[in-house]
Amino acid sequence: MTDGRVGEPPGSPTPSLEARSLTKRFGAVVACDCVELTVRRGEILGILGQNGAGKTTLMNMFLGLVRPDEGHIAVNGRPVVIDDPFKAASFGLAMVHQHFSLIGPLRVWENMALGEKGRIDEASTVRRVGEVAERYGLDVDPRARVDDLSTGQRQRAEIVKCLIRDPDVFILDEPTSVLTAAESVELFRVLRQVVQEEQRAVVLISHKLDEVLHATDRVTIMRSGRVVAERPTAGATAAELAREMIGREVSLRGDLSAAVGHLEAPAAVTAPAGDAPADRRPVVLAVRDARAVAPDGRTLLDGLSLELREGEILGLAGVEGNGQKALGDLLASVLDLTGGTVEVAGREVASGRAGAMAEAGVGMIPEDRHVCGSVLDMSVADNLVMGDLRSVSRRGVLRRRKVLEVAHRLIDEFEISVGSVDAPLRSLSGGNQQRVVLARELARSPRVLVASQPTRGLDVGAIEYMTARLRRAADAGTAVLLISSELEEILELADRVAVIHRGRIVGEMGRNEVDVDRLGLMMGGQAA
Amino acid sequence: MSNDVTTILGSAVRLSVPLAFAGVGEYVAERAGTLNISVEAMMLSGAYAGAVGSSVSHNAAAGFLWGMAAGLIVAVVHANFSHRLQANTFVVGLTLNVLALGVTNYLLEKVHMTPRQVGVWKVPLLWHIPVVGKPLFAERWPAYFLVGIVPAAWWVMRRSRWGLEMRSVGENPKAADVTGIHVNKRRRQGLMICGILAGFGGAYLSVAEVGTFNSNMTAGRGFIVIAAVIFGGWTLRGTIAGCFLFGGVDALRLALPALGYTINPQLLIASPYVIALLAMCFFAKRLRQPAALAQPFERGAT
Amino acid sequence: MTGLDRASGVTDVVAVPAPSPPSPSPGDGGAGTAPGARAWSTAGTVLLYVASLAAAFGISALLVALTHGSPSKVFPAMYDGSVRSFGSLGYTLDNAAPLMIVAVGAIVSTRAGLFNIGQEGQLTIGAMAGAFVALKVHPAGGPVLVLALLAAAAGGALWAGLVALLRFWRGVEVVISSLLLVFVAGQVLSYALSRAFLLREHGANGANLTESDQLSSKVQLPHFGSYPHFNFGSGLLIALVLAAAIGLVMTRTTLGFRLRMLGHNATAAKHVGVRAAWLGTVALLVSGACAGLAGGVLLTGQAYRITPTISNNVGWNGLLVALVARNNAWVAIGVALGFGALQAGGGFLTTTGVPTDLVNVMEALVVLAAVFPPALQEVMRRRARRAAAGAPVAVGAPA
Repeated sequence: MTDGRVGEPPGSPTPSLEARSLTKRFGAVVACDCVELTVRRGEILGILGQNGAGKTTLMNMFLGLVRPDEGHIAVNGRPVVIDDPFKAASFGLAMVHQHFSLIGPLRVWENMALGEKGRIDEASTVRRVGEVAERYGLDVDPRARVDDLSTGQRQRAEIVKCLIRDPDVFILDEPTSVLTAAESVELFRVLRQVVQEEQRAVVLISHKLDEVLHATDRVTIMRSGRVVAERPTAGATAAELAREMIGREVSLRGDLSAAVGHLEAPAAVTAPAGDAPADRRPVVLAVRDARAVAPDGRTLLDGLSLELREGEILGLAGVEGNGQKALGDLLASVLDLTGGTVEVAGREVASGRAGAMAEAGVGMIPEDRHVCGSVLDMSVADNLVMGDLRSVSRRGVLRRRKVLEVAHRLIDEFEISVGSVDAPLRSLSGGNQQRVVLARELARSPRVLVASQPTRGLDVGAIEYMTARLRRAADAGTAVLLISSELEEILELADRVAVIHRGRIVGEMGRNEVDVDRLGLMMGGQAA
Repeated sequence: MSNDVTTILGSAVRLSVPLAFAGVGEYVAERAGTLNISVEAMMLSGAYAGAVGSSVSHNAAAGFLWGMAAGLIVAVVHANFSHRLQANTFVVGLTLNVLALGVTNYLLEKVHMTPRQVGVWKVPLLWHIPVVGKPLFAERWPAYFLVGIVPAAWWVMRRSRWGLEMRSVGENPKAADVTGIHVNKRRRQGLMICGILAGFGGAYLSVAEVGTFNSNMTAGRGFIVIAAVIFGGWTLRGTIAGCFLFGGVDALRLALPALGYTINPQLLIASPYVIALLAMCFFAKRLRQPAALAQPFERGAT
Repeated sequence: MTGLDRASGVTDVVAVPAPSPPSPSPGDGGAGTAPGARAWSTAGTVLLYVASLAAAFGISALLVALTHGSPSKVFPAMYDGSVRSFGSLGYTLDNAAPLMIVAVGAIVSTRAGLFNIGQEGQLTIGAMAGAFVALKVHPAGGPVLVLALLAAAAGGALWAGLVALLRFWRGVEVVISSLLLVFVAGQVLSYALSRAFLLREHGANGANLTESDQLSSKVQLPHFGSYPHFNFGSGLLIALVLAAAIGLVMTRTTLGFRLRMLGHNATAAKHVGVRAAWLGTVALLVSGACAGLAGGVLLTGQAYRITPTISNNVGWNGLLVALVARNNAWVAIGVALGFGALQAGGGFLTTTGVPTDLVNVMEALVVLAAVFPPALQEVMRRRARRAAAGAPVAVGAPA
């Protein structure tokens, strides 16, 4: 197989991959600004940065999905032009995608074969998959249908798909959000093996300090499209890295620990606001023994029970893929239960009945606001009022003046930055879109507010705002259910912490009792 | 009695063959995610071109080449409007059907032709088999191409890289795109293959079966082909089965009155569509349609 | 995609083809332009349309010339037939009316996210139902006419109701079922025309005659004015009123709001209380009713009897009108008038000896010419938007 690689002896000082003054603009936005990056074989390079720092654009340039405006890429010292993913593969670059890369109905080996050229040979592909899987200890069945795999298995399959190309440079983009602690450890072991035994290079993109500190040899920090620092991981401290990443001094005990993915056991904190002690306040949300099944038979919720009291923030920790989305969908009236009940303020609410939860007073900031929380193609005003059309209409006819009134009020109150109230929601930034969703939900003064991965994909400022708003809501008496796969976020905000695993709650503890290790075990399925 | 059966069988085969050729093409196109409703135009153009071509070149077989070319032209127009320019594929498909009908009718009147008909080829020995021998083994010779095309199509879609890419494009174009596959290019290719095969099937109607071209000769067969693909659960085997089933029903419809039975002709004409609908209703699990069927794709469009 | 939670049963099982590329249309209330998109100047757009249409007419002229006709006579004849005189204007309007009705219905269901393409069948069934009432209910008169039109609407709604049933009970995709039902409808009509107790013409025998009786003049749609002066049928009034009504409902009422939400994002809609099955069925019924009503209008306003070809492609063409108009009710009125003019002109052309087929070809070419500019512009706009807004969505977190 001819490819673009020039054989380099291991340990050679020539870097495997370099970005030289790489610049990419999207209209007025400079996503990457004169980025200089060096990836050396035999080491794991971490690229640390907030959402919006330019990491993904940079990777997309390496992979041929985006063409740089200025500067160039060099592979093994030679400048190259990467037109498309096939070219990138031929230069020895491979990336583990989170989504959009494996095709469901096809089998694992067929997916492996897709990225290559030439004749298809099932037996040989299956054999190669098996070899790679064995070499790295990645358990994956080449003949299985991708649709039938679990998340962990899918990611393993993705990794095998990369390794099978025999890459020189192996890129991973935020891989651990869908993995348990144990699986993450396993992943880093594989990466270490890949790097040391075979002198490849690994690039680990992350916004989590702890991950980078733990797993990488060197770290490059990006901020607002530029590389702001580069140093060996060994001597670095979390505080230093955080400062570079955010651009100012960061108190790692405070509001921003969540944002930078830094985990420190919280110091003893004061009891949450409210006169009555926590356990004497009324229960506003009670989910009892909820069971739900996906159309393909997969169990989504397996007897999940939880209680939420007025004014408290319950943080639901867990690795993604253990039922959080189902719980969110349940509370958004989008999922039907096959067993169990949901009660809001003592009254049972029918599951799966359109709008029932919202009507009962359950507000929802969904995990993916584009899917469940908003309609991108409708205007900002429309999105702000869609939760409560009755308040802006009379006998079925919309009253535009009322709509504008409500919209402007919410825009002011929630400081949403928007050009025209009639602009499509799509035209707003991610943070502002999230504010629209928040505004709409809070406008109804909900009894219960479910916030599912509320700060994902947001920059620091937006994260700070969301966090503050959630706390404010709780202080005002709303019961907040915070579902997050980022432990830092939960420990930051929650009064109580529960852990979800395989569709049920496997443990609960008050904030003061939090033991990070124990939490980790529970998240991994070992009830402590 | 067995004579009757033979006649009906023969009629069934004859009616099914054009459907089967087009069916293979439509199957390929739909597996790539395009719900192609211009099959009717492809077949009709192929039928006309076949007749004209055989007349112009004084050679019946050449008619088939003309037919394939005509189907290909329809496909190229459709493919470029829908999968390069992103125009709504139903608008383009419906319009092409109208265009094909109009153009062929118009030319039929204005252009004089003496179409030819291909001969029958009797498979030695086999055609002597009682009852089924003549229908199956004494057909016009282009029909036998099916014997090669169907397995070839199966092999290409199942075992070749191109086929794998086609299927991936029909299931998950985003993932395919990220892997470096040209989604719309593959879809265009699917349409073109459909055009060639449907054109061939149409030519079979005029040059092999009837011997001449009549106005609106295909009379909705293109849509029956679509029904066959649906009935067949988007598998090649199912599609061919559907084509022969529907061809058989058509043959029955024609034969029954002569034999003295009175069955509602409308029921029989409608049956392919009803059968396909019922199949979709009650065999939904088995009939998995390509996940991205009829969903246009453009990279980066959320 | 997370393991346990994948396919939690909330998204639609079946694929809904996107209607013509979403454009900021007034009906939506959203008028923003994508950041950084290169906007076509109005002059540029007009020029593109003109060039496109010119190509269409050019090809038609070529076709005429190639077959020894005279292209120079074609276009003046079309102009004569469609807009030059009041009389021909009347024809244009009469042609446009049923198209408008069908189009407006198609817009409702497409906006709700259900791509109904079976208007031709729904129109047929509607015409049948209307004919049944008009012929069988005595004494004939104004009330019966109204009843017949209502029956037509009901018939079309019923046919579309089948599509809704199949969709919400069995998950059968709307595109497929509505398409297949078109051909079934044709056979239903054929059957009805062959049975005396249904619609077969009185006094006819044998399997050859396939028409119904003529409608008594008392159940024909009133006509205003008469040729060659300005004249039009009341079908036009019905069409305009309906178009306005539906346009207003879609943009100004909560029902319309919910329908649009459903079409844009069914999951978000469910979250705020929109019941997809119920509202989707309503949308389909409305679109079927419109198609059926158009059939009734055709029957009582133009054809005065049912024939196997009563639908005359009005259903297909109405759908095309909606698609060309990008699902905007106000634009659809204009596009329907354009189609109507084309048909009227074409009708006149046939009286000068040009075969109907050529006219059909021209109409089809014009449709293609009408979709070409927006398709081209959309592709270019999307390329610009992609460059401005971000890299293709390939990996999780945005840049």
